[in-house]
Amino acid sequence: MEIEQEDLSPETAFEKDPFGITVEDVYDMSHVIGKDLMKISKETRGATEHVADLQFKIVRVLEILETLVNQSSLSAEEVKMERDNLKAEVERLTKESPSADQTDLGPDKMVIDLRDPNRPRFTLQELREVLQERNKLKVQLLVAQDELQCYKSGIIPPTEDHIVTLENESIITTSPRPNGGSKEKSTIGRLFSPFKQEKQEQ
Amino acid sequence: MQGQQLSPVSRDRLICQMPKCYTAESCLQYKTHFDAQVKSACQQRHAGNFGLKMSKVVMVGDLYVGKTSLINRFCKNAFDRDYKATIGVDFEIERFEILGIPYNLQIWDTAGQEKFKCIASAYYRGAQVIITAFDLSDIQTLEHTKHWLQDALKENEPDTCSVFLVGTKKDTLSEAECERTERDALKFAVEMKAEYWSVSAKTGENVKDFFFRVASLAFEQSMKKELEKNGHSATQIGAGNLIQLEGNPSETKENDVQHNMNCC
Ligand SMILES: Nc1nc2c(ncn2[C@@H]2O[C@H](COP(=O)(O)OP(=O)(O)OP(=O)(O)O)[C@@H](O)[C@H]2O)c(=O)[nH]1
Ligand SMILES: [Mg+2]
Repeated sequence: MEIEQEDLSPETAFEKDPFGITVEDVYDMSHVIGKDLMKISKETRGATEHVADLQFKIVRVLEILETLVNQSSLSAEEVKMERDNLKAEVERLTKESPSADQTDLGPDKMVIDLRDPNRPRFTLQELREVLQERNKLKVQLLVAQDELQCYKSGIIPPTEDHIVTLENESIITTSPRPNGGSKEKSTIGRLFSPFKQEKQEQ
Repeated sequence: MQGQQLSPVSRDRLICQMPKCYTAESCLQYKTHFDAQVKSACQQRHAGNFGLKMSKVVMVGDLYVGKTSLINRFCKNAFDRDYKATIGVDFEIERFEILGIPYNLQIWDTAGQEKFKCIASAYYRGAQVIITAFDLSDIQTLEHTKHWLQDALKENEPDTCSVFLVGTKKDTLSEAECERTERDALKFAVEMKAEYWSVSAKTGENVKDFFFRVASLAFEQSMKKELEKNGHSATQIGAGNLIQLEGNPSETKENDVQHNMNCC
């Protein structure tokens, strides 16, 4: 396996898409900021108190970031588990139903222990994708349940068309538009603008 | 259309009359009957001619106000005392038969937590109904409904959404307290052009009536739209169109297939 060059420099964590940030990136950022702070405190002997003050705040912000990134990653895992359960359920139902060949789902079930520190981590973008996948599966499950109901009550078996139509109709609304996330950016921009100004004044 | 519902609709989801509103002051239109044109169109045509109709409902509001609980009470007749925050979005599909026509509601339950807003808001578009929920015992959540509504309306074409304002957890207030909050809420409802309801997911009070009202108004609205679209001249709404539709089912089928190919 080839290791990409960009993974080697912690600086690149600052250039990532906010929705693609992992908790490792936050640690990279801390590392870089920590080094910068050390440099500053060496150069500005007289102002060490201010630097220490600032350092305290920065650490706090990084801690907050760490918690948030971790949380959204946990949530994604929860949804992923739900999705996997749905997958299993769809599989089970389609096996029970005579038209078992209609849904083609691989048995790639994955068990995640939330306490495992080495568990896979998710970004907000991944959460988005997992949710979409979950939604599709849920529609499939509803269709499969309905189909089964039909067989049990002796109603004429549905044709394949039914499935396709119902599925697609739902997909139209289950897939959200790609979100630019421009609002978040501007908020962060606003948060940082006074800081930038101060820098320029000095 | 081939997307016809497969198994029969459950008997307690049949609607034959326009359900009543919560109170006379709480509704925008004091509707007690289905639109006459819609009604006769439904009577004249067998269910099959309309195919499967589906409307999208989006539920928004602060975290913890009880959006998920309200949906679960209606769709699963269940109530959970423990809070489990919704992650991003979730949805339920509820099947009705209104005036003999199969009709589905796609009910989208969005997360109230700020951190999921960017995910949940991507699901606002295409909503025919927006339900803004607040906790009757927490006046702040009522004040926030305006923002939630604004955000949801922004994602939709103007004048395409009907709006409901719902006060939740009615069981936690005394009658007098509830009335007081309702008076405030009604002012909001007028400004938001919304029909108002007070409900309790815990006891189930007004939950079914509320969703039946939502379903019926949404159904009527989309039938009206369809009638307008199909019959630019009034005669087409009547028997003429009926024969045409019944005599040529394959044509409608093809149209629908085309529509469904356009998804992303
Ligand atoms: N007493 C009472 N409690 C309720 C009622 N509805 C909901 N609750 C409780 O309020 C809490 C929050 O309910 P949820 O339905 O999860 O809230 P939500 O609006 O979906 O929250 P998010 O998903 O975070 O946006 C839960 O503990 C519920 O048991 C109600 O009608 N009466
Ligand atoms: Mg919820």
